[in-house]
Amino acid sequence: MNFTGNTKELVLIHNQMERLSTKKRVNIMLTPQFYTLKREALPVKYTYQAKRIGPSLFDGLLEEGRGYDYFVLKEAEEWVFIAYDKERIKAFLQTKGIHPDKVGKVFFAQQSVEMLSSPILLGEHEALTRLHGTAVIVPQSVFPEKFTTLTFNNKFTPKKGVSLKESEILFFSVGQVAVFAIMLLGLAGIFGYEGWRYAQGDTAKTEEMQGLLEEYPALESRYVRESLMSKFKKIDRKERKKREIIHSIAKAVFKGVTLNHLTISNKAFSAQFSCQTKAMATKLKSLLQKEKFQVTLKGTTAEIKGKL
Amino acid sequence: MNLERYQSQLIALIAIGVLVGAIFYKYDAFKKQAGASELANNAVLELKEVIALKKIWAESSLTKKVEKLQKIVPKQKVKWTRKKRKLTASFKGLTPQEVNKLIGKIMSLAVEIENLSIQKSGETYSVELKCKWSK
Repeated sequence: MNFTGNTKELVLIHNQMERLSTKKRVNIMLTPQFYTLKREALPVKYTYQAKRIGPSLFDGLLEEGRGYDYFVLKEAEEWVFIAYDKERIKAFLQTKGIHPDKVGKVFFAQQSVEMLSSPILLGEHEALTRLHGTAVIVPQSVFPEKFTTLTFNNKFTPKKGVSLKESEILFFSVGQVAVFAIMLLGLAGIFGYEGWRYAQGDTAKTEEMQGLLEEYPALESRYVRESLMSKFKKIDRKERKKREIIHSIAKAVFKGVTLNHLTISNKAFSAQFSCQTKAMATKLKSLLQKEKFQVTLKGTTAEIKGKL
Repeated sequence: MNLERYQSQLIALIAIGVLVGAIFYKYDAFKKQAGASELANNAVLELKEVIALKKIWAESSLTKKVEKLQKIVPKQKVKWTRKKRKLTASFKGLTPQEVNKLIGKIMSLAVEIENLSIQKSGETYSVELKCKWSK
């Protein structure tokens, strides 16, 4: 299945080709007339490493003063380096009615050398054929009178290609970019939906608040709420403290200890105990101190005082 | 400018732009929602706290509960003066058990104790209570 829509016509480019009248975008395959090829067995593993070496291999082989680009492919144990001049190719394409902007990918005949089981005729005098594993152009006269030929079509399209565009960032077809764009837009849609969900807010909390306010309409005003909060928090803190004091005093009293008096007001508290023995008084003192009271012991009488 | 020449880049650029826009929109909405959610949460918590405090310290049946205090001890031991939600009570000649019961009951009432005094005289106790409560 072709999801990327790479169904462009593949045009074989050679000197004898006729002028093209199509306005559609096309892919092109260059014959050896438009590139220089060199084979080398290099001790490198990856294409990017080979590509770095490429320019140095063509020293003295290429026309001076022209700008060349390089394409590398691996064939068995050898690396195949192809040097090509974009400007020259563009200029030639224009003479044949192909505007460079209408060119999608550019391929090299060498990439499809395995498919050249028979020659492909290039005009009346030349043919593209395979010779010792290399795509070459030979005069048709080298072939016997009757020989089989191949018809060039889209089946010759290799997987990898180059672009004629300068500073090309995206080596993808419009179809591939469209698929990529659809994926990004899908992702954008997900983010957008999540954003919309967030924008709707936390309805559960709002509903809970509404429910509570319906139950207690008097608390609808923030001013009232704050005023009540301040009032009751103050009462709560003070009253709990008073009750804690009384509870702590009750906890410290044991058999043989009598509470003589206890006073607790909004500001202070005091209590007095009398004990049967001095030992009891000492024990009472330690128990009260455990409850964080300041204790004054006078004989068998213990006293506590404090502020709220 | 030949737009057709750059159509791939344009498509990719627009898609990336939309994606970046959507990411910013989501991030912004998330930030706003987080802030609003915290506010709503605090408001609910505050409201619940006010309701809880009001239920404790302004209980509607508190007056009836306070009234029951005078029935804990024999009538002749009690001097009772209540004006609306303010009480001044005096308990005299109480046994230690009666004192314990009375104090325990007072502690369990959500009243504001303005003054509580327990005084031993001889073998009995007297208790003075001054308190008020909210509506």
